[in-house]
Amino acid sequence: MQYRMTKLIGKKLITLIMTLFLVSVAAFLAFQIIPGDVVNAILGTEATPEREAKLREELGLNDPPVVRYLHWIGGVLHGDLGRSYRYSKSMNEMLPVAELIGDKLPVTLWLAALAVFFIVVVSIPLGVFWAQGKSHFLDAFLNVLTQSVMAVPSFFLGILVTYLFGMVLKWFQPGGYVSYQKDFAGFLKYLVFPAISVAIPKIAMTARFLRNSMLTEKTSDYVRTAKSKGCTDRQVMYGHVLRNAMMPVVTFLGMIIAEIVAGSIVVEQVFGLPGVGRLLISSISNRDFPVVEILILYITAVVIVVYFLVDLLYRVIDPRIREM
Amino acid sequence: MKEIAAKAMVKIEDLSVHFGETKAVEHVNLTVAPGEILGIVGESGSGKSVTALTLMGLVADSAKMISGRILFEDTVLAESGKPRDKALYRRFQGEQMTMVFQEPMTSLNPTKRVGAQVEEMLLLHTQLTREERYQKVCESFQAVGLKNPEKVYRAYPHQLSGGMRQRAMIAMATILHPKLIVADEPTTALDVTIQNQIIELLRKINQKEKNAMIFITHDLNLARRLCHRIAVMQNGHVVECRGTQEVFADPKEEYTRRLIEAVPSRMKPKIKIQRSNREPVAVVEHLNVYYHDGGGLLSRKSRQQVIRDADFTIYRGEVLGLVGESGCGKSTLSKALLGMNRDIEGEIRHFSTRPQMIFQDPYSSLNPCKTIEWLLTEPLRAAGEIDPAFKMSAADRRAEAHDMLRKVGLDEKYLDRRPSQLSGGQRQRISIGQALITKPGLVIADEPVSALDVTLQAQIMELMRRLQDEMHMAYLFISHDINVVYQMSDRIMVMKDGQIVEQGETEEIFRAPKDPYTQLLLQES
Amino acid sequence: MGKLQRIMKKLHNKSPYFWIGLFMSSVAVVWAVLGFFWTPCSTTAMSAAERFQAPSWGHLFGTDNFGRDIFSRVMKGASTTVLVGLLVVLFSGGFGVLIGALTGYFGGILDELVMRFVDAVNGFPSILLALVMISVLGSGRHNLILSLGIVFTPSFIRIVRSEFIRLRDADYISRARLMGVKKIRILFVHILPNILSTFSVSVMIGFNNAILAESGMSYLGIGVLPPDASLGNMLSDAQGYLMRAPWYAMAPGLTIVWIVLGFSLLSEGIRRNAGEVRGL
Repeated sequence: MQYRMTKLIGKKLITLIMTLFLVSVAAFLAFQIIPGDVVNAILGTEATPEREAKLREELGLNDPPVVRYLHWIGGVLHGDLGRSYRYSKSMNEMLPVAELIGDKLPVTLWLAALAVFFIVVVSIPLGVFWAQGKSHFLDAFLNVLTQSVMAVPSFFLGILVTYLFGMVLKWFQPGGYVSYQKDFAGFLKYLVFPAISVAIPKIAMTARFLRNSMLTEKTSDYVRTAKSKGCTDRQVMYGHVLRNAMMPVVTFLGMIIAEIVAGSIVVEQVFGLPGVGRLLISSISNRDFPVVEILILYITAVVIVVYFLVDLLYRVIDPRIREM
Repeated sequence: MKEIAAKAMVKIEDLSVHFGETKAVEHVNLTVAPGEILGIVGESGSGKSVTALTLMGLVADSAKMISGRILFEDTVLAESGKPRDKALYRRFQGEQMTMVFQEPMTSLNPTKRVGAQVEEMLLLHTQLTREERYQKVCESFQAVGLKNPEKVYRAYPHQLSGGMRQRAMIAMATILHPKLIVADEPTTALDVTIQNQIIELLRKINQKEKNAMIFITHDLNLARRLCHRIAVMQNGHVVECRGTQEVFADPKEEYTRRLIEAVPSRMKPKIKIQRSNREPVAVVEHLNVYYHDGGGLLSRKSRQQVIRDADFTIYRGEVLGLVGESGCGKSTLSKALLGMNRDIEGEIRHFSTRPQMIFQDPYSSLNPCKTIEWLLTEPLRAAGEIDPAFKMSAADRRAEAHDMLRKVGLDEKYLDRRPSQLSGGQRQRISIGQALITKPGLVIADEPVSALDVTLQAQIMELMRRLQDEMHMAYLFISHDINVVYQMSDRIMVMKDGQIVEQGETEEIFRAPKDPYTQLLLQES
Repeated sequence: MGKLQRIMKKLHNKSPYFWIGLFMSSVAVVWAVLGFFWTPCSTTAMSAAERFQAPSWGHLFGTDNFGRDIFSRVMKGASTTVLVGLLVVLFSGGFGVLIGALTGYFGGILDELVMRFVDAVNGFPSILLALVMISVLGSGRHNLILSLGIVFTPSFIRIVRSEFIRLRDADYISRARLMGVKKIRILFVHILPNILSTFSVSVMIGFNNAILAESGMSYLGIGVLPPDASLGNMLSDAQGYLMRAPWYAMAPGLTIVWIVLGFSLLSEGIRRNAGEVRGL
């Protein structure tokens, strides 16, 4: 059993690394086939041919793609993430991507973490409560409410939150931001409202999902068996139904987390948070490909690791899968 | 009988239960005494399960008790006009009365260890310590014939076989020595040999514990073997309720008589056989069939042999029966015969065109979004594309379809209905019509009546025989029920673990079975 | 029972979700189609004198920072958004049915490969993938439709494929094979009609997702670009004047909510009618 589990984790880890490798190749290749010359993009069209040639040499653009890929990925593995085409450190030195990303990562990660926290804390009790089917009216109300919330795009929700809590109620300063290095508590406080904007639609989705899952489980034969033993409704709910109903929800939450990493791109823009998402957007607009490549790798890594963890968790709670 | 009724432990008085418009149970009176096994027999929809679930307080909330009351000893458990008293019920559920369900797989919680699920009984109703509970659960496993109780305790439901799961369910139901055990079709999902072990186990428990038992089944034979008294239900009414011997010796009600007659039995004269000249429609020689499991980019394929060295011939105009328990390879054999399984060794020679198949489940064998007319004309249209002999105009196809509909005993008003608007028996009729409309020489019928009630079973079997007389095709008739096969077949093959262990004339095999497995099958049923 | 009566009875049994959803989505579609041909005021005419007017009878939703009529611009924007959503769904739904049907029914190595790819893509947030595609292809309406179409195809493949796998071993399909029905007919005449209700629900959900993705990307400035009106880029403009003219942001935002909510209620109504409550 123990051995099988270890072997399985090993196997999954190999797939994980393979996937990352493939994505790195894909990300690298995608930006090699892009029309338009990088050198022109950096220097503009009016630069002298000599300068262009020099830059081309510096960037290693004369090497064949395989060499360039190996050079790039080798650097990434050693912590050298390449240099931005766009931002410079000084006149003649381009800013390393690592430095550019370094202080933006915590913003995005904390935003995602806060949002996930809100989602789990609110949606699970809400879903369980909803599944008890107390009254027909409440059921219909929650149904319409969650449907409506899910129809609100995250950036519009961000704008509504800004307007309501920032401008009308003045609970926070729109556009304000405190660096986490200076004041961590203040930093978190600024992330609360963006995180709420990210979380609200996902809370609705997760609560609906959990509720449906519980209703399905409640019609199972084993629930009838539990009742025939003399279990109270509570004992049936928490002793039997919840665990079975949570299983699909775990997978669902994994997907939600992946969505949040992406969803925060938009919300960072709305609230003006200096996170990875905003950097990604500006890098795409500026065609700053070394940065885009690294950000894609980073987001991929987050998504894959989340799925990996969800998969393990699933095996822990479902004995049927554990065997396989 | 009178004395028992006098000291009845459970009394159901004038019970009526409705689901909205549907009258599931109507004015039912039943009693059970300690030490007695009452059988409730009826076809699907007769209200037998609803009666039991109402008694146990487990019926769905949408059910409404219109009249009557339920007494357990001197306590009124439920009474019409009063809401269900869940707290009162919980004092009895588990401790005084327990239930064994039909599907042991789904009736156990898939993510809890079997031991913990049985132990929950003790947690809910006793003050035993942890060690005592463990001890007691293991003892109860032993008592129901589960070897290796520690292992069963730790197992999850999916790790046990169907028979073991049902034993665990029975252990759960008996661990607190309840006064009443309700068993709702506890053996229907199991193979014949296992079925008998479970029946014996229930009988043993009843004799030892002297508790009252209600045994619900659609199978008259089973009820006859286990029950002291039998209540026959039809459309929500109890039509007859007497001692088992009396019911069988002298059924009072017309319906009971029909039910008894419909049960396929070796006692009754067989449907007459007319053997034509021995002209083969299909010859199978040294057939091995393999089954593939998995096989993707990363996983290795596993190849399992399912059928070993099958050798037989099917002749025109005969019914060849194939009998065996689930998983013995009956369906695989039929698929190989139809060319649906390609990984085979040996030889299959067909001497007729387009063999067809009739499936077990009339609900999944008809395309749900098509009309009956479409369903009956489509085979002709498809045949016309392959075989010029079947080329005909759309009007001719429709005429043939109408003709076939009459042959299977339905009239034209069904033509523009869809399968969902038909009953199970009607669907099976359409299904037969669809298989026969292209006049195949061989029809494989895979458990064609197993999903149907006994009275319907008899009708469908008769229809199949009648159509054979008209159309002279051969049937390969597959069933797990040796009595059904006996009724239908001219010759029989018995299959076990992928091998045909015995084949021969039906009468001969039933008179003098040679193979030990055939003997066992005949004994058990 | 006559045919008409049966249809009436069928309609009568529909849930209120169906009716409300049908109402909201039809209003949205009619409005968007109308906006494609006609708007009450010009969508581009600017007027310094009429800047930031609050909603009135002359300008139902008020005017923006250039004095343009927001109602007209929202109409135009809705028609762009709905058109993009429709084309994306046509593209991805069409390819989804084709590829999903073939891989699901036939299986084999091709199916295995396609599914590896689909799983990999499906795991990723769609907006991120679309961003990457856009950054490779460049911004603009056509590239937006193409990239969203490609990004949404895998989820349709997955749904259609799993339905085909479920049905390919159904008894009635085995029977069609026995009858000698041609494969192409089995796929599209015997199986396809049976998945239509599932498929129509996923088309509506896909349409909603496409609308949300489109407006999100236009908001970020990499989808539909000005001067083309799109609900997303209107919101992006409006955000700067939130204090001064809150109606400027509310109009396009609530329009998106209306469209998306209409279709999700409609799909829920259809699903309830089919008698299935699973997943979302």
